Amino acid sequence: MATILTVDDTASMRQMISFTLSSVGHEVIQACDGHEALMLLKGKKVDLVIADINMPNMDGITLVKSLREQADYKFTPILVLTTESRESKRQQGKVAGATGWIVKPFNPEQLLNVVKKVLG
Amino acid sequence: MNGPFSFNLPTSGRMTSWSRWWLWAAVGMAVSLMWTVAFVPWWAALGSGLCAVLTLTVLAFYARKQDETTPRAGEEVLEGHDAKQVLEQVDALMSPSKDIEQIPQVDEVLQSMAADNQRRRVDDLMRRWVDVGQRYAEAALVLRREIQSVIKQTEQATGTIASSFEAVINKATIQARQAMELLEGTQGAASDGVPQSLKDFIQVSDERLNKMADEVVRVADLSVNMVRELDGVQNRTQAIDGFLLDVEKLAEQTSLLALNAEIEAARVGEHGRGFSVVATEVRRLSKRSHEFSDRIRVHLKEVRTGLSKTHGDMRTLSAADMEHALKIKDDVIALTRSLEGKNREVAETVGRINEISKEIAQDVQNVVVSLQFQDITSQKLSGMLEPMDELRSTLYHLMQETVNLDKGLFKNLPGSENWLSHMHDDPAAEVEVKLTKNSEQDLRKVHGATGSGPAVELF
Repeated sequence: MATILTVDDTASMRQMISFTLSSVGHEVIQACDGHEALMLLKGKKVDLVIADINMPNMDGITLVKSLREQADYKFTPILVLTTESRESKRQQGKVAGATGWIVKPFNPEQLLNVVKKVLG
Repeated sequence: MNGPFSFNLPTSGRMTSWSRWWLWAAVGMAVSLMWTVAFVPWWAALGSGLCAVLTLTVLAFYARKQDETTPRAGEEVLEGHDAKQVLEQVDALMSPSKDIEQIPQVDEVLQSMAADNQRRRVDDLMRRWVDVGQRYAEAALVLRREIQSVIKQTEQATGTIASSFEAVINKATIQARQAMELLEGTQGAASDGVPQSLKDFIQVSDERLNKMADEVVRVADLSVNMVRELDGVQNRTQAIDGFLLDVEKLAEQTSLLALNAEIEAARVGEHGRGFSVVATEVRRLSKRSHEFSDRIRVHLKEVRTGLSKTHGDMRTLSAADMEHALKIKDDVIALTRSLEGKNREVAETVGRINEISKEIAQDVQNVVVSLQFQDITSQKLSGMLEPMDELRSTLYHLMQETVNLDKGLFKNLPGSENWLSHMHDDPAAEVEVKLTKNSEQDLRKVHGATGSGPAVELF
């Protein structure tokens, strides 16, 4: 099963994502903002990143851009999971290099399906 | 607070006291003269009344003139040295040494009083404004702390709820798995002929019991055959009996023949001696043959008795065996059916347990969806802080501007310096600046939840 990094400033959100993904056997690591995510990814390779948009220190869009600049993460799927649903913001995410956009609240089954799809 | 009224009251009081005084005097006079009508002619009463009114009018006119030129009690509400100053000015103006031409200066004094009044009203309004500003700033600070506390508490509570549900689903999963293992245990296959499961046990015991029952039936069949065979043997012994009779008859005839031969030998005399010996021997043989036949018969009888007894036993045995075997077979079938039924019930129950745990998983999924609203509402609450902080910031600047406008206005304001220093030292003031920088982002947080578009989109 895959190793997935979840980035969200809300602890309960991280907990629920982690719970949902580990229920099917994925290994989940957590970060509370974009900055921490980048630090964590320095020494570890993950198969998928699920990131929030509105976070302190470093937001999701910046995180996606920073990851796409790294050779290791050029093609790693990055899903955005956020309350943000405005089209302009989606476009920003798309341009930054996000693989997909999921609007909160997520449905566990739906999240698992999307994860399955992007992991191929 | 009472500034605006302190000047109006004396003015209106002067007017009222004058006109009322005049009115009451006229009414009193009229009433006092009314009763004289009974004693004097009406024209005398009217005349004296008119005279009295005329006198009173003159007196009143003089009194009014006096009234306008003396300071009145109403001006006592003027406070501090300003009021005293004004009163001194008025006294100076009204002193007998002053010329009557100086009277127009009274208007100037009144104008200065009105301006002073205006200034006081502005001062009062400013105090109220600063007071309201201060109270709002405090209230906004309390509100901000409360909102932050609510966000924190709901996050903690949500965390606990999420953990609990995680534990619930994990336990439900374990429960279902164990039930399934139990079911597999009862339904699984046998290895090395040893039954591993209830189903297998039923099958094996069914097979073995059936085999045993078949064996019993087969044995019963064999005993029936044996009985039949024994019947045949008995018949044969009877035939042997017949043969033995023949043998005995043959022996008797031989004996008789030998006797005859002996007689004939005796008649012949010496020549027949040898023959007589032979004849005797033949008789002896015949006798022995008879004896032998008798002994055979005795043994044969014993054999027949034994056979007859065995035959009876075999008959009983075979019948009982058959009956027993059939009963065992029926019992085994009934037992097997019952065990199979129980096994089916176990399978059904485990199936239900499995379904229930799937339902629990579905319910927990719904819970996971609902719990995410904590995050959404927290963001909305955080978004509420922003406009509030902005208002606080605006208020702060307005207050500062007000204070800079005329610091003298607040000379008498108790605690105003403290409040101003509080505004400067307030850590929230820094937060304001920080939040203002992120205002766009924070407002987006609020708006984000109300936007539209697909819930999931892969680019």
